Amino acid sequence: MSFAYLVRRVVTSIPTVLFVAFVVFITIHLVPGNVVDMMLGTQNYLTQEQIDQLYKEYGLDKPLIVQFGIWLKNIATLDFGTSLRTGKKVINLIMDRFPVTLELSVLSMFFATIIGVPLGIVAAVKRNSFVDGVLRVVGLIGLSSPSFWVGAILIVIFAGLFQGFNIFGYVRLKEDFLKNLQVMFLPSLTLGLMLSAQIMRMTRSSMLDALQQEYIKTAKAKGVSHSKVIGKHALKNALIPIITLSGIQLGYLLAGTIVIENMFALPGLGRLLLQAVNERDYPVIQFVVMFIALLIVVLNIVVDFIYTLVDPRVELR
Amino acid sequence: MNRTVRKFLKNPFNMIFLLILISVLMVAVFPDLFARYGPYSMDYDAVLEGPSLKHLFGTDQFGRDIFSRCVFGLQKSVIIAFSSILFASVIGTVLGLIAGYYGGVWDLIIMRICDGFFAFPSLILALFIVALFGSSLLNLIIAIGIVYVPIFARTVRGATLSVRESLFVKASKVIGKSNFKIMLTDVLLNLSSVLIVTFTTNLSTAFLTEASLGFLGLSVPPPEPTLGGLVGQGTAFLLSAPWITLFPGFVIAVVVLSLNILGDGLRDVLDPKNR
Repeated sequence: MSFAYLVRRVVTSIPTVLFVAFVVFITIHLVPGNVVDMMLGTQNYLTQEQIDQLYKEYGLDKPLIVQFGIWLKNIATLDFGTSLRTGKKVINLIMDRFPVTLELSVLSMFFATIIGVPLGIVAAVKRNSFVDGVLRVVGLIGLSSPSFWVGAILIVIFAGLFQGFNIFGYVRLKEDFLKNLQVMFLPSLTLGLMLSAQIMRMTRSSMLDALQQEYIKTAKAKGVSHSKVIGKHALKNALIPIITLSGIQLGYLLAGTIVIENMFALPGLGRLLLQAVNERDYPVIQFVVMFIALLIVVLNIVVDFIYTLVDPRVELR
Repeated sequence: MNRTVRKFLKNPFNMIFLLILISVLMVAVFPDLFARYGPYSMDYDAVLEGPSLKHLFGTDQFGRDIFSRCVFGLQKSVIIAFSSILFASVIGTVLGLIAGYYGGVWDLIIMRICDGFFAFPSLILALFIVALFGSSLLNLIIAIGIVYVPIFARTVRGATLSVRESLFVKASKVIGKSNFKIMLTDVLLNLSSVLIVTFTTNLSTAFLTEASLGFLGLSVPPPEPTLGGLVGQGTAFLLSAPWITLFPGFVIAVVVLSLNILGDGLRDVLDPKNR
């Protein structure tokens, strides 16, 4: 893990970031009408001069390529503009909502790992047994179920079983830690269950790969205990694909949070995005989408780094 | 091919879910045969009623029959998911063929663009496009389809790279076949099994993406029913009338599960490694 690698990795992701920025920029410009038209609405009391002034203010009078340059500069300096509806700075809106999404993602990943990895190990060790078969079916069902359906089932079950359970009504982490965890429990469990199906399948197949290696036979021949062979020799080597998958999933997780946040009324990024979509608040939409794409690029770099921590054989150059 | 089909059907699992999927398709193609009520017909004497013989999946707050709405919603969802993957497979295959067959600059440009698209989570890209251009049927198909173009392009490119070096492609070149013809016949025919598997597995996720958009209220606008939309509108009554939400969700899960199992089954049969 060297500094040079970090620099190279960041440099090679620049084209991706530029492309993403370009797509978001050009898509917004393909929409009929622009920000000024949007603000004016159908009732137009402004003179042509005032309209021209507004065009100038938003840089809409400049050529497209210059506008793209300004857009890039704005992203780089985190100057995300202001919301058309609330007049608040978009960067403040994002920073206000992001912690909720982050907490939801981390907790979901936690549930997914503590459910998925052990079940995957069991399925691999008991390969082709009844248990393996049941887990395969359960995993497929998990992969196939829409998250909002799983969430609805969990809500119905929890509301029936625990009368006083706080399902809705978000409380900030800083305000009341326990209440916050209670509200976050069901949404995270929902997303976690969805992800655990994939993690379980991946754990199973990469454990099976690892268990067939020569060094496992050697370890067994040396008389290493069964649990040690599985836990230390096999699992450690099976971890790489599992981490890759978890890394990829973080992106999907961010998408999944849109649905779940709206289902459980959590004030995260996903809810902000959908609100903006419903209110046609273009600056908010474009920067939230941009922010999420940037986040995924950064996460991919982070995942690469985690490899080296798990597997010293992986040399990043 | 005959042996492959027989091998595929020998697995009872595949057989059962193939039958389920065929019946789902039948319902989607002939909704009027299966729905006892119209998708919009309201019955104010039967508001928020639970499942019964008269209303198999219960009714919603306007007394609309959930089963009938599921049937018509299924039709919409199937059309959108299938068309979007069809769109993605055609464009993705062409791009993948060009990138894999010609290589060089083409390969570089096409693959970098695909990498860029991978930075967007599928739901967010689709949501972005629908949010900007409106949720007409065509927009939905394109919005969901674009997400899958890079997946097809990448898969086809990888497979093309290996086929390109094979002897029969070289032979075709020697006898003077044009590049276009080689790509269309020699290369594409050899990719058919890869394409079938990619098509089926991605069809299931496209179905889920459409359902998620519907849940968020961004698929075909109400009152027209979509499966995801039914779930989304039902959540307001989740604790008093859970059937509005749970049944349409169940239908989505069954369709996606069938597609996933068939995709797995097809992969087992068609993958040369398992032959």
